[in-house]
Amino acid sequence: MAYVAVSGGEEAIESSIQLLEYYRSNSQKDLELETIETKLSLLVDRVMSEAGLYSPRYAALALKQCEGSAEEAVFLLRAYRSTLKRSYDTKVADTANMRIVRRISAAFKDIQGGQILGATYDYTHRLMNFSLAEEDAAGLCRRMQAEIDAQEPVSVEPCGRVSEELKKEGLIDRYPLDETPPFDVTQNLLEFPASRSARLQTLTRADMGFLSGLAYSVLRGFGQVHPTVGELRTGYLELEVPYLQDESESLWIGEILVTETEVFNESDSKNQLKLACGYGIIFGRNENKAIAMAVLDHELDQGGDYPSQDEEFVLMHGDSLEMNGFISHLKLPHYVTFQSKLDAVRKTRRENHE
Amino acid sequence: MNKRRLSKILAKAGPRQVQELAEEIKAQHEITVVKAPEKSLVMIKMRDPVKESLFYLGEVIVSEAIVDLDGAKGTAVLMGDDYEKALDMAVIDAACNKGVFARFDALEQLEAEQNRRTEQENALFLKTMVNFTSMDSEAAQ
Repeated sequence: MAYVAVSGGEEAIESSIQLLEYYRSNSQKDLELETIETKLSLLVDRVMSEAGLYSPRYAALALKQCEGSAEEAVFLLRAYRSTLKRSYDTKVADTANMRIVRRISAAFKDIQGGQILGATYDYTHRLMNFSLAEEDAAGLCRRMQAEIDAQEPVSVEPCGRVSEELKKEGLIDRYPLDETPPFDVTQNLLEFPASRSARLQTLTRADMGFLSGLAYSVLRGFGQVHPTVGELRTGYLELEVPYLQDESESLWIGEILVTETEVFNESDSKNQLKLACGYGIIFGRNENKAIAMAVLDHELDQGGDYPSQDEEFVLMHGDSLEMNGFISHLKLPHYVTFQSKLDAVRKTRRENHE
Repeated sequence: MNKRRLSKILAKAGPRQVQELAEEIKAQHEITVVKAPEKSLVMIKMRDPVKESLFYLGEVIVSEAIVDLDGAKGTAVLMGDDYEKALDMAVIDAACNKGVFARFDALEQLEAEQNRRTEQENALFLKTMVNFTSMDSEAAQ
C-alpha cells in the first residue's frame, strides 16, 4: 500500500479558517486580555502549565484567539516559544523562600508557620451566584484595594517545610545535594529509564486531566492507596539570572506563582520504619494537578504492574500537544488508507461467500 | 546597592516610575544601545526537595537590553515584553556602573512602598490562618 498525494480544497480550507471568526463575532463586546488574565486566571494557569511557558498575558491572548480551548491555547504557546531563543537558565529557584499565599497540611494540624487557607473553593457551597451575571467589576476592584490599604503590614517570613521536621527525626530519608545538570525534555527525546529531572519536567507539563485520572486510579486501588498530603503550598517564587558583567551578582527578573506539594506514603515492605515522599510542583494555582503529580511521582518510584507505575505509560501519554495532535490527526483525510481497509473487508466477504 | 536589589526595585516599579529615573540620566549623558531590547526565553531551574536533585520547571519570556553610557555597560533582563522599560532599566544600571546615578533615595522610597504593599497583602492572606480547637484532647484519645 503506497501513499498517494492528493491536492484540492485550498479555497475551502482558507474559507474555513476565516469562518472561525464567525464564532467570535456574535457580540460587539471585546474580551480584553486583562479581563481574561485576571478573571479566568485558573484557566490561564492551566494553559501556562501545560505549555511549559509562564506568561499570563500571552496565555490570555492564546485563549482569546482560540475561543477558550485549553489544548489549542497550549499549541499556540508552544509554537510561539519555539520561535524564541533561550538566553539563560535561572539560578536555582528555592521554594523554601517563596512568599506564601496558601499553605496547608493534611498530615499535621500544627505546623511551624501555621496553616494558611488563603483563597480556596474547598469550603464553598457550590451554589450558583446569579448576582455575578451583572457584577460591578469596578466596585469589586475598589473594595478589594481598599481592604488591602487598610491592612497593617506584616513582614513576610519563609515557612519551613513539614517534611524537614520528619527528616530531622529520621522518618524520611535525607539525600545529599545532587548537582547533576537536569535533562531537558524540550530539547532531548525522552529515554527510558528516565532521569528524575526528566520525570518531573514531563509531569509538570502534562495535561491536568490525564494526571488527575491516573492519580484517581491509584486512589481507587490501581496503585498504592491513599497517600497523605504532607504539605501543599502556593506562593510567589522569585527568579534570578546571572549578571553577565559580574558573576558574583544576579538580576531579579520577576516572580511566578506556583503550587508545590509533598505527599507522604508508607514505604515499601522492606522499609516500613520510614515514610516515602512524592513531589509535585506546577505553574499557578492548580492544586489537584500538583497533588496528582506528587502521587504519580511516588508511584513511579515504587514501580509495579499498574499503569500509574509504568514509567513509559505515564510519561509518554500526558503531553497535551502530543496527545491532542495525535487524536486530532484521525479526522484528517485518510481516504487511501481507509480505501485499502475497505478493499480488504470486501475481499474477505467475497471469499467467504465463494 | 547590589544588582539583585536594584533590579528587583525597578522590575516591580511601574514603567513611568522607571522612565522618570532614566530620563534624568538620558538628559545628562550620551546613551548608545548596544543590544536593542528583544524577547527570549529563560528556563527555570529548580531543586526538588525530596531527592535534592535539579530539574527544569518551565520557561518564562523575558526582555533583555544592553546600553552603553560613557563607556560603562548597563544590562536589564526582566519578565514580560515591555521593551521601553527594559531599555530604561539598562540605562539606570549603566549609570550605577558609571557611578553617576544619584537617585538612590528615589529607589529606596520605591522599595519601601513596594514592601509595604507586599506586607499589606501578606496581612490579608495571614487572616486565613487556622486556629484549631480540638474536640477532644489528643492525650485522652
